[in-house]
Amino acid sequence: MSENGGGRAAQSGEPGPDVHSSDVSREAVLARAFVRLADTLASDFDVVDFLQSLATDSVEILGAEAAGVMLADPRGGLRLIASSDERMRLLELFELQGAQGPCLDAFSSGRPVQASAADSRARWPVFAPEASDAGFQMMCAVPLRVRTDVIGALNLFRGTDEPFTGAEMDIAQAMAEMAAIGLIQERALRERSLLAEQLQAALNSRVIIEQAKGMLAEYLAMNVDDAFKLLRNYVRDHNRKLSEVARDIVNRKISRAELTTGPGQQP
Amino acid sequence: MRDDGRRARIMAAVTVRDPAAGVSELTQRLCRFAVDEMALSGCALVLMPTAESTTVLAGAGRHARTVTGLQMELGEGPCLQAYASGVPVLLPDLAAENANRWPAFATAALAAGVRAEFSLPLSVGPGGIGTLDLCRDTPGMLSEEHLADALVAADIARDAVLYQPYAQVGPDLVELLATIGTDRVVIHQATGMIAVQLDETMSNALARLRAAAFASGRSIYDIAQDVVERQVRFDE
Repeated sequence: MSENGGGRAAQSGEPGPDVHSSDVSREAVLARAFVRLADTLASDFDVVDFLQSLATDSVEILGAEAAGVMLADPRGGLRLIASSDERMRLLELFELQGAQGPCLDAFSSGRPVQASAADSRARWPVFAPEASDAGFQMMCAVPLRVRTDVIGALNLFRGTDEPFTGAEMDIAQAMAEMAAIGLIQERALRERSLLAEQLQAALNSRVIIEQAKGMLAEYLAMNVDDAFKLLRNYVRDHNRKLSEVARDIVNRKISRAELTTGPGQQP
Repeated sequence: MRDDGRRARIMAAVTVRDPAAGVSELTQRLCRFAVDEMALSGCALVLMPTAESTTVLAGAGRHARTVTGLQMELGEGPCLQAYASGVPVLLPDLAAENANRWPAFATAALAAGVRAEFSLPLSVGPGGIGTLDLCRDTPGMLSEEHLADALVAADIARDAVLYQPYAQVGPDLVELLATIGTDRVVIHQATGMIAVQLDETMSNALARLRAAAFASGRSIYDIAQDVVERQVRFDE
């Protein structure tokens, strides 16, 4: 069922192991998954693809039937970002709509959650029948967490009533934490890069304004202070930004003639 | 990856009196800290919007501006390499560098009394915003402890410039940038004038200015001053 659902999963290009993989190949799959989870600083990073891999990998590694990943939006509400198949997607959307279920509990508590069909009927009376109708009997969720910072949750479902073992819960938590670290690093880098660009632009503008002053001074055989007055007049008369006009002068997009005619020429 | 204990220790050393210090004060103290802690003869925090313009944001020690100044003169050197490559450039003995990568820079730096130079990029992802430059008047490699401290100091400086205390590049830094490095302004003005005289790009005009300074043995600043005061023309 999970094999035919995810178009994105099929694109990952990873050779899938046998359905009942040995411990050795499971270790290899796990190792590959961790490498993917660490790789968030590439220039073509895409958060949806990244979390889609987390969903697909966790299904394979933890012997689940389906998985979904939710992330907190800036207002603190959860949004469904990736799921291993369409049935899972609908169920997770239902979980969000009903505002109850394992993913929400893992997110709000910051702790792993596991429930059988009977447990789930007691804990989440609205959600449990939907999960049961979708064919799921055992469910767990782990927070996407870095220290005390919880940014989302990973949900896993089984069609059988076999509980997730302690070791499986540990692996799920480790994968979720790894994903959270990667996402937080990626966000920090994106923010820093934006600030760095603004800083570089501000510094570079200063250089270009000085160069433009020099050009004007040379064009008009005046000193640089008078050239700057003329430049400011031009900027004011044309209602433009100083840094833009300076750039146009340096790139010779504004001609010498344009600068010396018009209402701005009188000091 | 990040050494939180080291970062906390250095932050404590530079914010001891005034935790809310602005970027100017904080970066100045970082340079002072590096000079004192690592027995340097100079430390400078240099911002570079491009490889062709440098702005010394903060500096300490008698060689604070020496290395940056020479690289502006010569258009070559370890800071430019660190900035362009994003990798630290460590030169424990400039005398041994003499004939190698930067012959003009090494000779001039030695003449100015600099014997060792360490240039650390202020990296932001694949790019960077400048360098933290450390130099000594004695040869020898930085100890591992000092190198680790210096790398963390470069991270703190980068974060201070990018984050503190504003969400974006706010008025504090903009004002600061408007008032520092005013002696460099004349170089960019002269570059603009030479570009018109020769009908050339800014890069080529700056290269011509450097070449003239190098050939005459005068500083690029002096020649630029002459150009702006119309004592020197490049189209004659």
